[in-house]
Amino acid sequence: MRPQLRGRVLAALAGLASAGLVTLAAVPGWLPAAAADPTTATAGSGVATRQQVGSADDSAWTQTQTLTRTFVDASGAEDVVGSYDVTVSADQTENLRGRQRITISWSGAHPSAARASDPYGENGLAQEYPVVILQCRGVEDPTGDEEQLSPDTCWTNSWSQRSQLARSNSESTWRKDLYADEADTERVSGADPLPDAATCPSLDLGIYSSHITPFLAADGTQYDACSSSTMPPEAAVDAAYPAAELAAFTETDGTGEVQFEVRSDTENESLGCNDETACSIVVVPIVGLSCAAPSVPATSTDTACRKTGRFIAGSSNYTADGVDQAVSPSLWWSESNWRGRFTIPITFALPSDTCDILDTRSATGFYGSELLAQAALQWAPAYCLSDDRFKFQLNQMSDVAGWNLMESGEGAAAEVASQREETTDDPVGYAPTAVTGFAIGYIIDKPDNAGEYTHLKLNARLVAKLLTQSYLGSDLGRGHEGMGDNPLSIMQDPEFIALNPGLSQTSQEVGATLLSLSISSDVISQLTDWISQDPEAMDFIDGDADPWGMVVNPNYEGLDLPFDETPLLDDYVPTTSDACRTANPGVYFNQIAAPVTTLRKISDALLSAWPNVQTKCDYDPDTELYKTGRIARQSVGARFMLGLVSLGDAERYGLRTAALETTDDHYVAPTDASLAAAVELATQTEDAKPFVLDQADVRTSRTAYPGTMIVYTAARMRNLKKAWARNVSQFMRVSVTEGQVSGSGNGELPAGYLPIEPTGPTAKLYRSARRVAAEVAAQAPLDETDDDASDTPTSTASSGTTTTSHTGSGSAGTGDYTVDEVPSADASADVPTDAASSDAVVADGTSLGATAAISSGSGGMVLPLALVLGAASTLGAGLVRVLGARGRS
Amino acid sequence: MAVDTDVRPDDAPAPAPAGQGRRVRRPWWSRPLQPSWWKGLSAGLLQRVGDVRARRASRPPRPPVTGTAAALSASLTMIGLVCLWLVVQLLGLSALRHDRDQALLYQQFRTEVASATAPVGPVTDPGEPVALLRIPSLGIEEVVVEGTASGDMLAGPGHQRNTVLPGQEGTSVIMGRSSTYGRPFAALAQLRPGDTFQVVVAQGTKTFTVLDVRGTGDPLPAARTAGTARVVLATATTDGRLGALSPGDAVYVDAEAKNAFAAPAGLPSALPDSEQLMGTEADVVLPLLTACLAGLVGLALLLIAARQRWSAALVWTVASPVVLALAWVTTDVVVRLLPNVI
Repeated sequence: MRPQLRGRVLAALAGLASAGLVTLAAVPGWLPAAAADPTTATAGSGVATRQQVGSADDSAWTQTQTLTRTFVDASGAEDVVGSYDVTVSADQTENLRGRQRITISWSGAHPSAARASDPYGENGLAQEYPVVILQCRGVEDPTGDEEQLSPDTCWTNSWSQRSQLARSNSESTWRKDLYADEADTERVSGADPLPDAATCPSLDLGIYSSHITPFLAADGTQYDACSSSTMPPEAAVDAAYPAAELAAFTETDGTGEVQFEVRSDTENESLGCNDETACSIVVVPIVGLSCAAPSVPATSTDTACRKTGRFIAGSSNYTADGVDQAVSPSLWWSESNWRGRFTIPITFALPSDTCDILDTRSATGFYGSELLAQAALQWAPAYCLSDDRFKFQLNQMSDVAGWNLMESGEGAAAEVASQREETTDDPVGYAPTAVTGFAIGYIIDKPDNAGEYTHLKLNARLVAKLLTQSYLGSDLGRGHEGMGDNPLSIMQDPEFIALNPGLSQTSQEVGATLLSLSISSDVISQLTDWISQDPEAMDFIDGDADPWGMVVNPNYEGLDLPFDETPLLDDYVPTTSDACRTANPGVYFNQIAAPVTTLRKISDALLSAWPNVQTKCDYDPDTELYKTGRIARQSVGARFMLGLVSLGDAERYGLRTAALETTDDHYVAPTDASLAAAVELATQTEDAKPFVLDQADVRTSRTAYPGTMIVYTAARMRNLKKAWARNVSQFMRVSVTEGQVSGSGNGELPAGYLPIEPTGPTAKLYRSARRVAAEVAAQAPLDETDDDASDTPTSTASSGTTTTSHTGSGSAGTGDYTVDEVPSADASADVPTDAASSDAVVADGTSLGATAAISSGSGGMVLPLALVLGAASTLGAGLVRVLGARGRS
Repeated sequence: MAVDTDVRPDDAPAPAPAGQGRRVRRPWWSRPLQPSWWKGLSAGLLQRVGDVRARRASRPPRPPVTGTAAALSASLTMIGLVCLWLVVQLLGLSALRHDRDQALLYQQFRTEVASATAPVGPVTDPGEPVALLRIPSLGIEEVVVEGTASGDMLAGPGHQRNTVLPGQEGTSVIMGRSSTYGRPFAALAQLRPGDTFQVVVAQGTKTFTVLDVRGTGDPLPAARTAGTARVVLATATTDGRLGALSPGDAVYVDAEAKNAFAAPAGLPSALPDSEQLMGTEADVVLPLLTACLAGLVGLALLLIAARQRWSAALVWTVASPVVLALAWVTTDVVVRLLPNVI
């Protein structure tokens, strides 16, 4: 029976753990060196990185090449019609992770024309002179041999980006490419052997020309790429991930910059980039085809090849009108274009589950804040792959849940970002582990195809308006009592327009919300603390209209700030004639807000520009029911979304972050300097306790970033299991020394974190961490002098229990979280036998006093009394009866 | 229950009344129904009842008691009945309830353990079975229920809710009654250091070794070391002057087992007074008791009314189960006013 029961308990725990926790573990140590070609690339020379927090990665890459366009005339003379010295830079190339975005910038390219609003995938094809950026499997052979990178391993999300099928003469300019192989000038070309007509019916049609660029998947499968059914499975129209490759726009001064999202084999198995498979980002600035000598007389193909574009530089092409093929991105694979490519070698970090695979030891669990996620991802391998360290594992959960696990002795340590209430007698030490914070991430497109907005500023009142659901969302919200005249969304709020001029004022529902967390979090409490220190924001929440007449949602009026869990107080269900909404009534503003459980989900939503607004309501013909759901991804060019993100995620995924107002008209963005300024303001009240960043101080500073948060490793300084104490203390020490070296390698500190150093503003954190680490390692037993009565087990007269149990006297509300994978496997083995551990309180032999008297008191006398009284009464009754009858007769 | 034997229906042949000359005007509820209605309802029954009456009437009449003496006699009878009923139920009949509850709880707990759904804490509904306690040397095998309120412990020993379950790492407290409701812990003080007993919980079986038996003034046991499970069994002594009738001070048995099961966190930190040792549920129970007593009074009035119309045999046949049940329930409620371990 016992093994069964244990199995069942473990199974339940495992289920809960897998459902509730995001387990970060990681990666073995060997990392391939950067494969940059030393002859052509100069690393890191003067490249401005986009990185805002954390010092610059040294894996930046830059290269310059001269690209030319050459026409050969009928006589055989070469005429160079254009020459461009193009410099391409990338800000980071090593240890990338799936969906990480790297900034690629260039200068000296031909100015683009016919700008598409969405440059990604096939939507970017109708442009002229763009810069095509693709991710390819493989790297260039540095010896210059034949084994060079081929277009066959470059990923595109649609076949039309790879192949030209059944083109007329004026649309088959690749056949006149000066540098093309003999084979590629044939009428039908691109593969050997060519696919048969059953596979590609329109490949070989009479007089028409075709060229295909097959895709060679990582597993060796060749996809012919002549229709959507001959493309890899990841290239579906509504694939899980939108196209990452793009035809980027060069400004009229020849410069341009994009953020390119790399895909690992987790996201794209056919492309297959991982830690072992080298990959590249290929940048092909389109300068136009070089053309071979024309026929005499010149054919329409010769003429088409020499075209230089229909659109003027800098123009837009909203309707995807036809462009001149010779200068379009469609022929990126033709030799003229391909030979001018820039190949940026990239390496991927090892997958995050490798620690679990390579290290069979049981992990020491650290529980808590997601703010530490990106750092833990890089730190974990430095622990688990070292024999003299332990297996570190961060289990992300709400700060309070992590804290409770630590306090109850089920978790070795908690990761928290603020002081929490202690409920046991064992003192808890807080060792500063990382300086990071939250940010309000955004993705906003400027109107008229002008690219992304990069300088968003927000003040506390605007955030308060979003959090209190005070925007109407759409006309459906107009019926809300007491706020019907409010703007539909933040885009139409005059306050926002004044702060961020020049943005589109076309309202979207997503503009009424800040995608936020649904769980309790220190991030929320700091955000709301920042709002609560702003008198204008508090006046607004207390019911005063802002200068433009907007009022707070009456359901939120007088809301008490700060709080650590966003309340959704609105209860307005719109009345409408819409059949779907009538069938699915819901609280409209909550459907718009739709908070999520992790910051990572918010980052993902921002990365895909896919708001979590759940107001889509339509008819499902399959089930014949109306259903609601998440609205569609936003189209590039009309993106607008705000979300609460961690700085680590923001840097990893290249998310833009808003500058927040501190004092009147001073907006501070998260940077190394602004985080350091905030750390300087933080004060520690007591040894081994957290540093408190008072938002009132932030308001008086003009440089401190209000979202700065210090993440602490909190652990018990007494009665922690010996093995745990050793591991936790080691982590506390290593994470403020080795772990604070900026970089992308194992054990290094990723971008988004301010390094804690022994000197400078973070010195106090460093010292505090070292001190707490020493105390945790020592696990000093209870000192007799500071012994207080509650530590000694005494008989409490009321309960009669004679030993006071300290086990699990956690605060109320822990029941939801505490059941989880208790690392008991090593725990039971490591339990020390001395008395100063766990909840045993004092050493043997100490007199603990005498058992107190507890008596049943009068209650114990009830039975004898009842017996005596009963007997007496019965006797008496009989006596009275007999006497009475006798007297009468 | 109190029925005035002085009044008889007029439609039965009347015995020779003693106070012939004193004609009392009876209130409406004791006035006879019209014979036509009565006969129309059940003539046959009436005939037989009439025969019984006739036979009884042929016995020489007993002189009825009246006046102050009658009132005194009736009152004393009532007091006697109530007190003796209490004694009889607490010492005797309550064991029936305890045995029945235990039988049901055993089946339930057995099923839960077998199907791995038995509670492991930290929060279990009061009254649910949480452990099986076997003390072979005392012949005790009891299912322990969650909660130590007096009402919970009618079914068997109760587990104090702010402690870990027995066998889990930490100190667990189990209380049991010593003189009523099966008296499961009556012989607890006869345990001796070194005796062993078993506890079955959801996580498995643990064998505990008794450290000592403590009464008032005895030294407390040494602090528990890590990795051990401790159980404190608590009840009231029955060796006072009145022995089993009058439980006295608290008595504890400390026992310990090695290699404790893991204990889940999140125990409630506070325990209401009603669940402390010797606690009573006075606050909770009084409204319920009022309702029960009101029910009893109402039943008595009903009986009096019924006796005006029907024969004593008929009325008592119908009413006895109801009276017994209500008295039983009322007593169970009364017990909740008493300390939880007597």
